[in-house]
Amino acid sequence: MTDQPAGVPASGIPAGGSAASGAPAVGAGRQSGTSARRIVGLVGAENLSLLIALAILVLLIASQSNKFFLSQNLLNIGQNISVVGLVAVGETIIIVAGMLDISVGSIAGVASVVAALVLLGSGDVVGGSGLAVSAGNAPLAVAGGVLAGLLLGLVNGFIITALRVNAVIATLATLSAFRGLAFLIAPEGKPVTVLNQSFISLGTGRLDLIPGWPIPISLLVLLAVAIGFAVLMRYMDFGRAVYALGGNPAAARLAGIHVTRLKLSIYALSGAAAGMAGIILTARTNSGQPASGSQGLELEAITAVFLGGASLQGGRGTIAGTMLAVVLIGALSNGMNLLGIPTFYQLVAKGALLVVAVAISQWRQARAERARTRVAA
Amino acid sequence: MADPPVPPPASLDDAAPGVAPAPLLEIRGLAKAFPNVLALRDVDLDVHGGQILALMGENGAGKSTLLRILSGDYQPDAGTLSLDGHALTLTGPRDSRLAGIRVIYQEPEIVPGVDVAENIWIGELPRRGPFVDRGRLEARVRRDLADYGFEAVLPMRAMGADLSPAQRQLVEILRALKANVRILALDEPTSSLTDEEVVRLFALIRRLRDQGVAIIYVSHRIREILQLADRVAVLRDGGLVAVRSAAELSEREIVRLMVGRDLQEMLRRHPATQDRVVLKVDHLSSNWHRDISFEIRAGEVVGFAGLVGAGRTELAKAVFGELPIQAGTVAIEGRQIELHRPADAIKAGIGLAPEDRKREGLILVRSVVENASLAILRRLSRFRFVRRGLERRVVGEFVKRLNIRTPSLDQEVGKLSGGNQQKVVLARWLAAKPKLLILDEPTRGIDVGAKAEIYRLIDELANEGIAIMLISSELPEILGLSDRIIVMQSGRITGELPGDGTTEEEVMGLAMADNLSALVEAAAAGAEDGGK
Repeated sequence: MTDQPAGVPASGIPAGGSAASGAPAVGAGRQSGTSARRIVGLVGAENLSLLIALAILVLLIASQSNKFFLSQNLLNIGQNISVVGLVAVGETIIIVAGMLDISVGSIAGVASVVAALVLLGSGDVVGGSGLAVSAGNAPLAVAGGVLAGLLLGLVNGFIITALRVNAVIATLATLSAFRGLAFLIAPEGKPVTVLNQSFISLGTGRLDLIPGWPIPISLLVLLAVAIGFAVLMRYMDFGRAVYALGGNPAAARLAGIHVTRLKLSIYALSGAAAGMAGIILTARTNSGQPASGSQGLELEAITAVFLGGASLQGGRGTIAGTMLAVVLIGALSNGMNLLGIPTFYQLVAKGALLVVAVAISQWRQARAERARTRVAA
Repeated sequence: MADPPVPPPASLDDAAPGVAPAPLLEIRGLAKAFPNVLALRDVDLDVHGGQILALMGENGAGKSTLLRILSGDYQPDAGTLSLDGHALTLTGPRDSRLAGIRVIYQEPEIVPGVDVAENIWIGELPRRGPFVDRGRLEARVRRDLADYGFEAVLPMRAMGADLSPAQRQLVEILRALKANVRILALDEPTSSLTDEEVVRLFALIRRLRDQGVAIIYVSHRIREILQLADRVAVLRDGGLVAVRSAAELSEREIVRLMVGRDLQEMLRRHPATQDRVVLKVDHLSSNWHRDISFEIRAGEVVGFAGLVGAGRTELAKAVFGELPIQAGTVAIEGRQIELHRPADAIKAGIGLAPEDRKREGLILVRSVVENASLAILRRLSRFRFVRRGLERRVVGEFVKRLNIRTPSLDQEVGKLSGGNQQKVVLARWLAAKPKLLILDEPTRGIDVGAKAEIYRLIDELANEGIAIMLISSELPEILGLSDRIIVMQSGRITGELPGDGTTEEEVMGLAMADNLSALVEAAAAGAEDGGK
């Protein structure tokens, strides 16, 4: 933090002790670190405040409702957050890269219909009507949904890079266009029913990994994807490039990063994650849903990303932070349901939460900038 | 405080020319601390009307803090200010303005969507009913511009977005002058001005002084100070080291006061030019250039001199694949390279430390290690996984070699000082082991101590066989470090000079080969480029 006074060689002012000794003291403090500090380092300093907020929230809800801590309820939360979680994990890399994608809910809608249609097409048609009932090939359906999400993500990326449309505008446009597309490909614009049991288990199935705690498969899917993205962002050169792009696009380009290619990959990955969310949604509702269920996903996902410590200016944010925020939001909506708060109030609360999340993020940014100018002074 | 060779400041004031009866502004015992830094300590300083007081010191010496206290942005922890013998309390920028104090910073606020005239009078535009009275506005601005001699360099109807840094500075100064100014403080006003503009600015400053305004002038450029200032105050580590009459001081003496070391020692070049040609640019033309050809050999430092807007930065970016080339070729070690993006240049063995390190060089919100390894991530990775142990070893080595002062490798780069930030950019390119290193204004805005280290490093790197393209607007730097000097003007090479025995006058002669009209043209072209 304090480099200048200590940094001036041969400063020759004996009275300079107080200022000059400041820097080494700070450095030493950082490096040594007590065990408490090590724990903070493990969770991440910003995530610590999230954990505290989560703990307070849980205590608050539990004090009002004795159902909250029931294993059934906790596992329900786990199942409920999986769809938003998948979308939020993808959205995290977009926001870290300094961009935004508000079309993710619509992408999930298209992927949902595509997965159902693949099941329909790969299965035997039972009955005569267009809305046939069939079993079909589950792995193929999953692949189809993810691929659809990935392609739509690439469309977003193309509009943003090749046509140079601002990311918010581009994905606002595709928010509408993809929603339309979902209805267009669904026969007669109606939900497509799904009967394949192994596919459905992705949404509602449980695995008895721990006796008495049947873990939702959808939660396991979310955890697997989140860990994959976290590794990508933390340990691989791709993640480094994403952080660099978000922190300073001009500098990233001048450091040899292929900015266009990177943006395309980022949107493709986020699209694929949204596609996976659409698949879980399909499995949970037994039907390919063009719209219902995927509406409002973008709001919750974006809220989670900012609450999780990402910055609107890009360059900051982690998958771990986003996941914590997803759990927090999940617990919050579960709590509101347990306490019998009407849906309309919940919508208002969700909107307010986004404002709060971004306000906190901006406040952090301003504080960091103040710390920086202080050094320049 | 007790620096042996310096007598107490009070007695020095008597030595100042044009002794004013009483100081306009008295600063007594001023102190300001930030967490971990004592930015100002016990500063006593008198500022007289009708005098130019130069405020000097390395980055971090406390100059900016002092200015921010005068502008009301910061509140001092201790000490008093008095104006005309009356105690002065500044609780915000408004108080400061009401007291007749104006501080002009390096990066003025300019509204991009309105023209120069409205930018100058913003907030107080003359009105006729609900509309802006353009007639009255333009008459007033035209008169002021003619009065101060800026009509050629600052077109009244140019849009804010199209203004060069120099023009923005002028707008800010004109804003200050329309109110009743008693104390005018300027923070490094010439860092982005051409020599022509500097001359005009100095004339303006002298005129204001003669009208009785007290001028506080902050600059790194020592020669400029000696030309302009009546008195010089030197700050070091937040304390006032000396206040002397400018006439008593030499360039050497000022540097010694600022760092306690000699400048000539810093600029030393041990020629090591080899026969092997590293960079060959052949008949290159672009939007900014016409028919540029030159070579740089291994171990050779080639300095690029010229005025702002001569196209040197753009040439560096064209060679680096950032700006498109329309005709001509670029070859590294005899092999022509296809340049579509900087990545292509990097692959061919070129590194570029850009002029504006905050905007183009660094990811300020990321750590030292991430910034330094950015250009060699692929080389540090196995199966696309960054080998973090190796990464820290490599970066750690350069942090040590470049003497980067940071609490840890994980420190956010934005929290380092300017000199250390620049060294992080250099570490990135040294880690990439380039054949050609392009340094665009490598010492701009960094303190003298870090400058000395960077000069030594340039010399060392050339001796290791790296070809160096050095762009600098500081002539002593170019003259002291270059084996060969190429002078540019308006996108063309106007001459080449040997590094040894060349004088500043010879370089400036080539840099301003054409007359003033060419200068204005270049400035206009620069403004256009800035807008793109």
